Amino acid sequence: MAMNRRDFLKVSTSASGGLVLSLSLPGCATVDTGYSENAGTWRPDAWLEIQDNGNIYFTLARVEMGQGTYTGLTTLIAEELDVEPASIKPRFAPVAKEYLNPAYKLQITGGSTSVATSWEPLRRAGAEARYMLMMAAAKVWQVETDNCSTQDGRVVHPNGIDSLPYARLASLAASEIPRIEVPLKPRSEWKYIGKQMKRLDAEAKATGTAVYGIDIEQPGMLYAVVTRPPRYGAKVKSFNKADVTVHSGVKDVFEIERGVAVVATSYWRARKAQRALQVEWDNDDAITLSTESVFHHYYKDSEQDAGVSEREDGDYAQAEEQAGKVLHADYEQPYLAHFAMEPMNATAWYKGDAMEVWASTQAPDLGRIAAARGCDLSPGDITIHTTFLGGGFGRRLTNDYIEEAAAVSYRMKAPVKLVWSREEDTQHSPCRPAMLHRMRAAVSGNRLEGWHHQIVGPQILDWYITNAAPAQYPWAPKMLYNTLGRVGLAAEGLATPKDVSAIEGAIDYPYQVPNVELRHTHSDPGFPITWWRSVGYSHNGFAVETFMDEIAHELGEDPIAFRRARLQNQPRHLQVLDRVAEMSRWNSASASGRAKGVAVFQSFGTFVAQVVEASIEGSEIKVHKVWCAVDCGQVVNPSVVSDQIKGGILFGLSAALWGEITLADGKVQQSNFHDYPVMAMHNLPDVELDIVDSNEAPTGVGEPGVPPVIPALGNALFRLTGVRQRRLPLKASS
Amino acid sequence: MAFSLTVNGNRHTVDVDSDTPLLWVIRDELGLKGTKFGCGAGLCGACTVHVNGQPARSCSTAIELVDGAEITTIEGLSEGGNLHPLQQAWISEGVPQCGYCQSGQIMTAAHLLANNPSPSRDDIVAAMTGNLCRCGTYARIVAAVESVAGSVGHYQPGQEGA
Repeated sequence: MAMNRRDFLKVSTSASGGLVLSLSLPGCATVDTGYSENAGTWRPDAWLEIQDNGNIYFTLARVEMGQGTYTGLTTLIAEELDVEPASIKPRFAPVAKEYLNPAYKLQITGGSTSVATSWEPLRRAGAEARYMLMMAAAKVWQVETDNCSTQDGRVVHPNGIDSLPYARLASLAASEIPRIEVPLKPRSEWKYIGKQMKRLDAEAKATGTAVYGIDIEQPGMLYAVVTRPPRYGAKVKSFNKADVTVHSGVKDVFEIERGVAVVATSYWRARKAQRALQVEWDNDDAITLSTESVFHHYYKDSEQDAGVSEREDGDYAQAEEQAGKVLHADYEQPYLAHFAMEPMNATAWYKGDAMEVWASTQAPDLGRIAAARGCDLSPGDITIHTTFLGGGFGRRLTNDYIEEAAAVSYRMKAPVKLVWSREEDTQHSPCRPAMLHRMRAAVSGNRLEGWHHQIVGPQILDWYITNAAPAQYPWAPKMLYNTLGRVGLAAEGLATPKDVSAIEGAIDYPYQVPNVELRHTHSDPGFPITWWRSVGYSHNGFAVETFMDEIAHELGEDPIAFRRARLQNQPRHLQVLDRVAEMSRWNSASASGRAKGVAVFQSFGTFVAQVVEASIEGSEIKVHKVWCAVDCGQVVNPSVVSDQIKGGILFGLSAALWGEITLADGKVQQSNFHDYPVMAMHNLPDVELDIVDSNEAPTGVGEPGVPPVIPALGNALFRLTGVRQRRLPLKASS
Repeated sequence: MAFSLTVNGNRHTVDVDSDTPLLWVIRDELGLKGTKFGCGAGLCGACTVHVNGQPARSCSTAIELVDGAEITTIEGLSEGGNLHPLQQAWISEGVPQCGYCQSGQIMTAAHLLANNPSPSRDDIVAAMTGNLCRCGTYARIVAAVESVAGSVGHYQPGQEGA
């Protein structure tokens, strides 16, 4: 994305003297965020601030939830500014229009977009700042700017001997405006990008000093817990307030929109008192779903409604009529929880005409909308302070916990920290949707003539837009929020981006097949859903790459050879597939009792091929090894890329092996790590990763490791047992 | 009720309900936020501290059971400005991602090495497998523990809080 400097960089002097670069991204300039200026001496839009005392601050517009933005984005600006990344102090961005994610026009961290969307503007800002510092030095020395150079935070005189530190030049530089387009460094001159760099947040996280949302303290702070309806949709009818308020330390017990809040002087006293709380629920609008009824509903809807056509190449119906054989498979995938290690929490402080909120959130501007819903203020009166996130995985794009904290603080007129228990997180959080995929393939001889994919399930935007739409129009009165949500949905694909959450990874089916049809039957059981690491790719990956394996088997072809033959126009798929075949020695037999399975999948612009080797030991599936080749364009930090892809593989394996939220009579049946297991160290497979060299622009790495590992494991189990599993999670015996 | 504790060498008296988990005493009464709440049921290890030299899940340890005990938290590992060798290894191996579980991971590893200075890979896995990490940092944790195995001399559980 090429940008004109004048379009997005603004230069000014900071309050303390020094150079401040702020930016405005194209298309966002008209959004009034109502930011209230009380964040201290720095301006909220100060993206890069070089103070005359030597401090260099960089505002991190994308939150750090483990995926490495703190290090990666800082590295981008450091490279062009020509300073050590570790010498820059990142600070978390407040809500401001300058920090909107250009991919969504919302201030959200998700979709594996952080590096891809920052790649150009951050390097450009660094380069401009460096050039301004050189101009300032040139003026001091009365020399030509272009004859100056820089080295590690100093401008060097053309004589190669004298130099001035950036700190001394900062305020002078603020009056300099480059009249040329400052060129970016060529790749060959990079000192930090592409190198194995240490994470800048490692020390804080190894010493327990990194501050997460749950660590926030405010003077006179109270603690709150909320009892929510066991069945989604139920409302409070009555509750035994008097039995709860008698408990020591309890300050108040009252109804909020989402349940009944217990407020006390300590977390533990709030929890203990909560045990005495008995709520009678009005279940008129409550769900009564079971897992079986969800899928029954999906099958029924799939037969009554062929769905919206999302892609049509050739004529599948005709291909099926002419086919020698038609293959069918239905794949069922469950609701999935996120299980971020930091339970949901937020601290809110209502101060009459303003509110401050501290929270681990992936979407601070939506958090402001959520907080506004919980009190009598407008979004512009609310300041959201973000912290380090103890995991996000998409869960923290939904700010229900901020709404609750705001509502409780509004009532108490005091700072309140609201904390969910692990059980509450498991039972009251929105999930990755359960999905049904109905596949058909038209086969003649050894030719795959047609591919038909019917996706059955909900769209996430339906659940998300109630806060997302108002966040795009923060001046809109609150009474219009729900209307904005409906308008947003109506304008989907026209005024707002189309919701591709159900179809991503299926609509871009990469194989050369003459007749391809993709349909989405919109069926929403009414259970809350949200984004989950790799979103639609997570379930489409399993459906597409398992069915490809089934067809290959039916045609008697090797799974890789079968895919290769149909990827001849997809060089980046082919490259990673060939690489993983080589790494895994695909053509060599596994040890006795083990088998390998493969999958190749593109998500978020990143191409990933994986081979999984597994066995069955007693009643358990054992994953021995995962080979992975990835093409994510140019690499900012190889160790962060490696961590993200490998972490994604383990996240995907947790889902493949155990991940399942089930419903009975409208209630979630799982509650904690004992009945929602995740990968532990003793389950850990060996993971071998190769990042292929690329000159393409960088693409996301936080999510793309997840999708292929699920079908690759299923495909390995099929080769091992001869039994095809079409329902997740996978079982040792079916 | 009043309970007394020695945490990272400092004596404290706290007045809390007797069933209050040690975790909330450490975090909210004493203000040491490095120890984390993860599951509240002793299932994830994020809240691991040392009680009289033994690793304990502070979320499931009532204060009345540890009255008078010597407690070490993540903050106590690096007292005096010198990082524990494991903390240094965590930084140089680049272990943390979101970082939330890492205090508990390091406390478990510190106890392992204090008792078994040269653990095998199997020993490490056996000691560490109860500490869950959702980001999937396990391989780097193993590498970090192995990088300091055999070189942890100055930290002994018997001397905690001394």
